[in-house]
Amino acid sequence: MTPPELRALLADSVALWSAEARVWVDGEAVRVGEIRVTAAAPEDLPIRWWLERPGQKRPCTSVLGLLRSLRNALGGGEAQKLRVV
Amino acid sequence: MIPVVVLTGFLGAGKTTLLKRLLRDPGYADSAVIINEYGEVPLDHDLLASSEETFVSTSTGCLCCVVRSDLAATLMDLHRRRRLGEVPAYKRVLIETSGLADPAPILHALMTEQPVLETHRLEAVATLVDALHGAAALERHPEAQRQVRLADRILLTKPDLADTTALRATLATLNPGAELRDVLHGAVPADWLLAAAPRTDEWLDATARHSANLGSVIIEREAPIPAMALTLWLQGLAEHLGTKLLRLKGLVCIAEAPEAPAVLHGIGHVMHAPAWLEAWPSADHRSRIVLIGQGIPPYWPLRLLDAIEEEVRAASALPG
Repeated sequence: MTPPELRALLADSVALWSAEARVWVDGEAVRVGEIRVTAAAPEDLPIRWWLERPGQKRPCTSVLGLLRSLRNALGGGEAQKLRVV
Repeated sequence: MIPVVVLTGFLGAGKTTLLKRLLRDPGYADSAVIINEYGEVPLDHDLLASSEETFVSTSTGCLCCVVRSDLAATLMDLHRRRRLGEVPAYKRVLIETSGLADPAPILHALMTEQPVLETHRLEAVATLVDALHGAAALERHPEAQRQVRLADRILLTKPDLADTTALRATLATLNPGAELRDVLHGAVPADWLLAAAPRTDEWLDATARHSANLGSVIIEREAPIPAMALTLWLQGLAEHLGTKLLRLKGLVCIAEAPEAPAVLHGIGHVMHAPAWLEAWPSADHRSRIVLIGQGIPPYWPLRLLDAIEEEVRAASALPG
């Protein structure tokens, strides 16, 4: 996923959570307010994404994990679990 | 499995008139009817004269507001009495909701209560809209909008009493996927009303024609979708859309089994386990998924699916 594609997904997600944060491409990273999201290097697998805040760098192994972490960081409310019936 | 058809519509839309007519129609014989009325006295029950093959059970209070298990309890009690021969061996259940009911919790109950799931199958949601007062109800009452959004079929009642051009446009905007039929004096063919909700090309195509609608998000995809990507995507929808997702339906070409489509069906964070059609209904084998919801950024579901699919394909390409 390119930084502009990631920015589009994260900007939509921020809107979906009714969170308030500006989302923009910052070089190879995407900034969500003070949070910096970057794709992990291939040698970092199974880590795929890094989510950085001042004083904290959190690994995420999937885009779903990234969204979960970002939502928590933004205080976007409790997520619901899928229930299959 | 006993099919269940939910009949809903705002106050005065003509539900009782319709039921009154239906219960005298041989096409609706062998039906059990559960009537939910808002108020202490079950008037509708008394207004209905049922045929010998059909009987009526009432539940008072607003069905969508009471604990969901009440509906389950009513259904399962009927089912038990049917098994014991205490009531006729009905072949289907019609649930008439209160005019003030939001149907979502009712559908949720039908899809989540385990005993109900094992014995009943939600066949369709039919919503009545009054041609005369429907536009005002839709404008003023969110319950009326939810009733329309969740419908598989919309029955436009009293169409002879008003110009319905604007109302039809509103209905098409709120729920582009629903079939709409004019209904005069409660006359509705049983084979149309009671049929399983369409989940084939006709339904999807009808929806796709209105893809600009804000309440609906359409995803069409040429390439088959890996099963793992689909599973993770549904998980993502449930996590982040929650109650914003009113309904999800779709035909999906799964990469591991592309010869027949999987049928998706869900409400909120609750999804039915995918069912499989025996074959594709047409030469069009694209995956087509419709999400009906409120406040969903229109490209978010597709962007999430793209991102997840990219990860899944990358992972499956890894050695070992």
